[in-house]
Amino acid sequence: MGALNRVAPLLLFLAPLLIRAQTRPTFIAQPGRVIAIALPVSLLNDSGIARQLGSGLTTVFLLAAKPRGSARVDIRFDVWDEVWIVRRLDFDGHDERQRITSRDALEKWWSSPLRLLTGDPPHVSVDVTLTVLPFSAAESEDARAWISKSAGSAESGRGSPLVAAVIGTTLNAKPIRSYRWQSEVQLK
Amino acid sequence: MRGWRSIAVVVLAVCGATLLFWLLVHQVSALWMDVALRADVRQALQQSVDDQKKLRVLDANGSAEYRRHFEETSRLLHRLDVLRMSREQMLQRFEVMLVGLFAVAASLIAMSIVVRGNRGRARERSQYLDRIADLQEIERRRAHETRGPLTAARLELERADDAIARGAPQQEIAAALGSVGDELERLSRLTHRQPSFAAIGAPVLRPTSLAEVVKEFCTTFANAWPNVALRFEGGEARVCADRDLVRQVLVNLCTNSAMAIAEKGSVTFTIARNALDVADTGSGIPESLRARVFDPYVTTRRIGEGTGLGLAISRKIMLEHGGDLQLAGSTTSGTTFRLTFGEMDCN
Repeated sequence: MGALNRVAPLLLFLAPLLIRAQTRPTFIAQPGRVIAIALPVSLLNDSGIARQLGSGLTTVFLLAAKPRGSARVDIRFDVWDEVWIVRRLDFDGHDERQRITSRDALEKWWSSPLRLLTGDPPHVSVDVTLTVLPFSAAESEDARAWISKSAGSAESGRGSPLVAAVIGTTLNAKPIRSYRWQSEVQLK
Repeated sequence: MRGWRSIAVVVLAVCGATLLFWLLVHQVSALWMDVALRADVRQALQQSVDDQKKLRVLDANGSAEYRRHFEETSRLLHRLDVLRMSREQMLQRFEVMLVGLFAVAASLIAMSIVVRGNRGRARERSQYLDRIADLQEIERRRAHETRGPLTAARLELERADDAIARGAPQQEIAAALGSVGDELERLSRLTHRQPSFAAIGAPVLRPTSLAEVVKEFCTTFANAWPNVALRFEGGEARVCADRDLVRQVLVNLCTNSAMAIAEKGSVTFTIARNALDVADTGSGIPESLRARVFDPYVTTRRIGEGTGLGLAISRKIMLEHGGDLQLAGSTTSGTTFRLTFGEMDCN
């Protein structure tokens, strides 16, 4: 009991560090001075993100990297077919879409490297920000049009311009999570 | 200092009203949003989605129809989820917009009230200064009117004193003293001529034929004003009136008319219902004076020709009759006053 009392504060101190270590991505130097990022699976298991992934809405993962780079990952669970509809956009515009049928396959796909930016050898200081949005711009626009139409007169079917203006400027996805990682990457 | 205090009060009032409005809007809009995003509505939609999925297993032939329903319901569910996740932002924006509009409207109204108040105070000051100027004018008139006989009396006394000193004949001394007496008599007449509000008694009302009063007046005062012809056009009304006081009103009006008629003219009396119109063919009342014509000491006459109390006294008399005296109209070719009598019980 006394030993536990001594260890408990240490565990409490170390727990955030351990969790943080689990959510750190891996940066990989690829041919052509490309730096890719492998996102940790633990992100998908985060309670807020996991709940959002099962909602049927598109969860958007936006990656912004310094010195210069960006990428995007969209994941939507198709509830009818029970498949994951995923999409990845690399920094150079490479667009990859897939239908993934199992959670294991999703995690495998998720942790595969995502091309993020190019850098100058021999090493690059990378500063990456990941923002997780609960729905896509298209879904936001669909909801905006729907509620704007609902606020208008039933006869005309046209929405109130005032309500449309208010909704149009407020239905922006608020991030449910955001992360920031910094690392030194050695380029070959 | 007073201006700053007014601004501070207005700012505080606008802020307070805006805060109250925001509290109201916050309660109402939050309630509205919460009703729209009720958890049981979402649960029902979610149940519907799950049911469609189960039905496709039980009835494979209707799978396409179930899918269509499923997608429609899912879309609705997703829209509600998007709204739910944007709830706080929407409420904030909505409230900021409404409260902003309210604050602007409240500020405009408050500014309008302040401006009106300032204008009212300016008008009041202007009217007060006008009245003071009128009082100064009447004091100047009174001083001038009394100074004349007093100066003359003093000069005549000096003449009498001089005559006594040099042993002048008794006749010359008596003439000088007689002149002093004349001037003092003139002064006495002058002070008695000035009517006073205090001198007006309360009317003794009796059932009276207005036509009879006017006819009698026209007969009695036919030669009172050499340049004015009095005419009764007709009409009749039975009113409660004090004949003597009504006659005083008519005298005052006709005196004014006689002053306003340059050479020859007329004053016409017409009775209709409970009103008597008195119309002259004089030069009219200047437009700048019409609004104040019943104020005491307001007059167009030269010094020594009147005190400016006649119309004020006349109106007081008519108000005490339960009626009124009004300026019915005035142009450069004549003025009409209207005496109205109230529906009073003579007893």
